[in-house]
Amino acid sequence: MSIFRLGDQRPPEPRRINDDVVMRFDHVYEVDPEKMRVFPQQDLPAWDTERIVAARWDHLDWMHDHFADEVLSTGLGSETMPEEEG
Amino acid sequence: MGSAVDDAVLDELRAIIGDTDRVLDNVSSRAVRTRVPAPFPVHRWAQHMPDVAVLPTSAEEVSEVVKLANRLRIPIVPRAGGTGLSDGAVPLKGGICVDVKLMNQIHEVDLVDRTVTVGPGINMLKLNERLRPHGVFYPDDPASYPCSLVGGRIGTGGWSLLGSRYGHTRDLVISMEVVLPTGEIVHIGEGGGRKLRKSSTGLTLKHLFTGHQGTLGICTQATLELVPRPETEFAAFFAFSDYMDAWRTTGALTKSGLATLAGVVLFDEWKLRYLRRDDEAYIPQPEDVRAVIAVAMYGRRAEVEPASKIVMELGRENAGRYLGDEISQGDWASRHDRYATPLHGRTLDGQAVPMSWHCEDAALNYSVLPQVREEWHAIVDRYIREYGIFDDWGMFAYTNGAHKPWGDYLVEIDVGIWEQRLDDTNWEAWVRCKREIAEVSLKYGGSITACHGATRAGDAELVPTEMGTSWEVVKRIKRALDPNNVMNPGKQMLDEAYE
Amino acid sequence: MSDTSSNGHEREFAERWRDNAYGCFSSGHKFCREVCPVMQVTRNENHTPTAFHANIVAMEQGLVTVADVADDFVHCTQCGACELRCPNTLFTGDFYRHRTRTVDVVKAMRALMVETGNERPAWKLWNERLAADHNEPVLGDVPVSQEHVADWADGLDIPIGGETVLFVDCEAAFYRTSYSRAFAQLLQLAGVEFGLMREQWCCGGPAAEMGYADLARKHAEHNVADWRAVGAKRVIAPDPHDYIAFTEDYPALFGDDYEFEIVLGVELIAELVRDGRIRLTHPVERTVTYHDPCRLNKRKGIHEAPRELLRAIPGLTFKDVDRVTQWSYCSGGGGGLPIEKPAITAEIARRRVERASELEVDALISACPWSERPLSDVGALEVMDLFELVAVSAGVTVTA
Repeated sequence: MSIFRLGDQRPPEPRRINDDVVMRFDHVYEVDPEKMRVFPQQDLPAWDTERIVAARWDHLDWMHDHFADEVLSTGLGSETMPEEEG
Repeated sequence: MGSAVDDAVLDELRAIIGDTDRVLDNVSSRAVRTRVPAPFPVHRWAQHMPDVAVLPTSAEEVSEVVKLANRLRIPIVPRAGGTGLSDGAVPLKGGICVDVKLMNQIHEVDLVDRTVTVGPGINMLKLNERLRPHGVFYPDDPASYPCSLVGGRIGTGGWSLLGSRYGHTRDLVISMEVVLPTGEIVHIGEGGGRKLRKSSTGLTLKHLFTGHQGTLGICTQATLELVPRPETEFAAFFAFSDYMDAWRTTGALTKSGLATLAGVVLFDEWKLRYLRRDDEAYIPQPEDVRAVIAVAMYGRRAEVEPASKIVMELGRENAGRYLGDEISQGDWASRHDRYATPLHGRTLDGQAVPMSWHCEDAALNYSVLPQVREEWHAIVDRYIREYGIFDDWGMFAYTNGAHKPWGDYLVEIDVGIWEQRLDDTNWEAWVRCKREIAEVSLKYGGSITACHGATRAGDAELVPTEMGTSWEVVKRIKRALDPNNVMNPGKQMLDEAYE
Repeated sequence: MSDTSSNGHEREFAERWRDNAYGCFSSGHKFCREVCPVMQVTRNENHTPTAFHANIVAMEQGLVTVADVADDFVHCTQCGACELRCPNTLFTGDFYRHRTRTVDVVKAMRALMVETGNERPAWKLWNERLAADHNEPVLGDVPVSQEHVADWADGLDIPIGGETVLFVDCEAAFYRTSYSRAFAQLLQLAGVEFGLMREQWCCGGPAAEMGYADLARKHAEHNVADWRAVGAKRVIAPDPHDYIAFTEDYPALFGDDYEFEIVLGVELIAELVRDGRIRLTHPVERTVTYHDPCRLNKRKGIHEAPRELLRAIPGLTFKDVDRVTQWSYCSGGGGGLPIEKPAITAEIARRRVERASELEVDALISACPWSERPLSDVGALEVMDLFELVAVSAGVTVTA
């Protein structure tokens, strides 16, 4: 059960991934905030990031299922980044 | 500009339509039926508003409205989803916007002769949700699949991601009911029967009425192809350090003779740089991933599974590296949504700003893809550096031949335009940029539009050039069917037919 | 210096909401249209979320005034489907920390309508009664009052105050009292300690949705003061509309001062069942399907707990429809729509019930009391609340 506490909603500080991208939550990339000075970012609480990421995967799964009964996999991971999941 | 739609006309429209809620002349109803997603001259919005919008529910209502328009020489602008990437539904001369979204019924599902008959206001995703329990599918799958409507697909002569397997809109629409520019309600198809796919009786009119950009009439009902719902989907993405290796591999895949191949997409180096900005699949990729190919197959497992093994071989033949199941499947599933969100835009100093998306859609042959890519990027680069309000989001080349993956390609360069900075100077610059891009397509024996339509400035002026000797035939047909030039006037240079 | 001459309000508003407006207007692809419950019924482009955002740009360009667009902005249940489905949210909202916010835009425009003398008549009346009675006039001509706001709890001996307060919304306190009793009795069965408020005003959420921002603030201040007065640290919100008010509207009003823990009712019940503190021992031999309330599924991403509960009920045949398909479903009950455009709400609800009926079930189970009224009014299918169903299986007798 999730209990909403306002204090928990503040996103963690970003750590740098590359010149353009940072990361606050595991596996969730974000734009370097420095690039959002002309068009400011919104106040996005943690629950909202979580909701969007979960919804995106749900939507993609739904799209597969909408078009075909099954998705054929090769069982192979990334050949460009073999040490990661890809 | 004085409006031809005065109170007397409004009264007549209300008498035809019957329901005053479906004759909308207030400013907000007109303002929201002006633009489409293509880059828009915001500063000239008022010039493009229709004078009134009507929301018909039957072919008879459409017919009477069109007859009225003919009598009084008032322009008609048909509008289905308003999701086109060219300006087919943008009024150029005011007039009556005929908005067909209420005509979204499924009239008949025939599982024996494998057709579904619908109104033009229905969306393909919503249609397929209703067809699913029957094990059938209408495979017209553009990147606007969740939002475009059948009427617009017919009007633009749409292209489908799955076209190499199932064909495009004009292959998937079997017949239709059309209100001609003079108001008659006619059957248009392949011969007489509504559900016939192939005939040689009389003159075959179906192709003429697909892709006319709303200039030859308004579709009020369409009978569509039903294919068996695919059992199996297979998608594979391959990375290349050299674009030319990717291009060669694209050739090999598209000429492989695999029948379940639905589409192949070639991403160029600029596209990879763009994807690295904000796409989670590409951000972590190593520097030497410079080009990518996406391949998708649909059909029975018995056919797709063995074919998939050939695809995996071919995909890696020219130093291609598989991006893995997770990225292949996730990225493929995202292709049914147009993904050029505005914040992909970057100013010259790297700031993210919302940019409107120009999606070029030239049709070009395989042999010229590498050269066109170089010339197009050079053009856009010039404009970026000079005006500071454009951005280059890279190129795709998609298989374009219906049932023929080896055929031509829908070649796309995605240009971002900072709409908030548009004024007359910048807009004119944009139009020039667009024209230069289109001229390259013609130079290399291509077409300036595979599927969006040449209905906007930058493209339209070149229609006569591209049509060449057939332009005269086109004009005669237009004048014959639309003697008063009421049906979407000003589009595609067809006003020349009346000079 | 604010310019209150004609178009002054429009330009100020457009300035404030410019980024949101262009975030949509620069795209204009309308992935929102087919998931929007209002658009599915009216098919009128004026009611697209795209039009809502475009109108702001139109205001900036001096093309429209508030009066011109006021009626358009009534056509929204604030279900959140559009802003979630929008690729600006779904594909890049988390990346850029900038997403589509149609709900906020609609609320803000409705507030501007109130400020500029463009109030809607039925909403005006509704909120006048709310201002007078402190609860929403959910019983029609029969007045509601603070005197009776806790009558639903008669005989349940629920104390006032304490560390954990149960918030019962207006619809559940006065209209669908079976809902409140079922929920409270389930908590008591599980031995959860909780109390009621001294004075329970409406959460203020609906007032905010209809554009009555000052009234909403007044209610929020009152409720928070009441919570503090009884030493509450935690608020249980069974109703999804209240959950949204307490986790979004109230933090926006109070900022870092907002110290309360908010617990969603359905997640609490699911945990109690999981932990064995509520035992579902009575079989319910029925065939049902579940309606994902918009304010749980789309607005908050909450869809597992209710399904876990349904699957835990012995004897129940549960025919599910997945949560993504349900992005385009809605009861039509939210955003004040039933008050101003009851015919549209009725049609939205009719279609929702039709989808359920197609599954050949004998009941539609929802987890939101505001949805249950329009869905029940369709009359074609029995509509129950999840808590009411769980109570049956837990052997609790709920007398409404």
